[in-house]
Amino acid sequence: MNMRIPILKLYDTLIVSIQWELDDRTALQFQEDLMEKLHETEASGVLIDLTAIDFIDSFIAKVIGDVIQMSSLMGAKVVITGIQPAVAITLIELGIRLEGVLTALDLENGLDKLHKELED
Amino acid sequence: MNNQIIKNLQKHKEEVMYAWIEEMKNEKGEKFFQYMPEHLVEKTSREFTALMLSNIEEGEDVSDEQSMEFATKIVRFGWSISFINTAIDRFSKVVFKHLEREGVVNGENYSRFFELHLNWIEPLRRSIIQSYSLEWERTFNLQKIALQELSASLIPVFEKISVMPLVGTIDTERAKLIMENLLEGVVEQRAEVVLLDITGVPVVDTMVAHHLIQAADAVRLVGSKCLLVGIRPEIAQTIVTLGIDLTDFLTTSTLQKGMEKALRLTNREIKEVE
Repeated sequence: MNMRIPILKLYDTLIVSIQWELDDRTALQFQEDLMEKLHETEASGVLIDLTAIDFIDSFIAKVIGDVIQMSSLMGAKVVITGIQPAVAITLIELGIRLEGVLTALDLENGLDKLHKELED
Repeated sequence: MNNQIIKNLQKHKEEVMYAWIEEMKNEKGEKFFQYMPEHLVEKTSREFTALMLSNIEEGEDVSDEQSMEFATKIVRFGWSISFINTAIDRFSKVVFKHLEREGVVNGENYSRFFELHLNWIEPLRRSIIQSYSLEWERTFNLQKIALQELSASLIPVFEKISVMPLVGTIDTERAKLIMENLLEGVVEQRAEVVLLDITGVPVVDTMVAHHLIQAADAVRLVGSKCLLVGIRPEIAQTIVTLGIDLTDFLTTSTLQKGMEKALRLTNREIKEVE
């Protein structure tokens, strides 16, 4: 089964809400889709919501890190929202610090932060 | 077999009890029998003797159930374990002397008393020690839990601002607990800024600093900001001397300054009202 993660466009922001645990293929598919969509819509911000994820492995973490880097290469700011405590601990233990990435508690906060960042 | 002994003991309950009280009064270092009011001593002693003898009434061997019941009752007296040990020793001595005097036990059937002793007194002693150690273990665990609960609580101070005061030494286990409580608290309280107050942490070495940096990183990941406040002069010196890099951190010397900074970060400030 190949589940694709929906990528929604809201004004100049792409919103992605990941609702289930990603397997490696879905993650790579998502990476490709997002880049495609960024190119297509010329969005200036990306918001990835991880509220529903309470487990993450090193590969998925790497993909997310990659997506962030790729997006900034394409000139878009990325905000990650709703990282669960357990996920945060795993990331830190894996040594993935996601430096320079904007994070926010929830979608609302994330959009605020993104807009502020884009205004600057 | 032992019926004779048991019957004799039943008959001379009082006698044995008073002899035992006398013995206990002569025991050095035990204040209970010397300073407690007479009637209280007698009441407790009667209970103790009754408990000791109640087990022998019912059969030759003391069942586990009986001895546990006995032990829980004894523990409720609130005596120290060494005192109870002495009490049991004295009791068996008194019983032996009494039986010897009565002529129930003599040189020929001495082994009979020994058997009685093995099946009666020793199981009771064992069960008492067991229930004492159980009691201690339980208390120890309860205290540990209480300490854990007290040791890392995140307090919401203003909307979007929470404080976690840390007091005492931070070891790896505690650091883990701090991290978990911190993150759960941040998500639950929707705190945008958290202040980690280390005024009460006596020593900040590389290990503690490492844990703090990890905690702050994790806080950043869940979408909040972590300020390290309460850096005392000697802590600042150690941090620099040890070459610990805290440049990614916002740090202030006092909680007050940290709070001002936190308010500024959330676009607020404290104003005086005229």
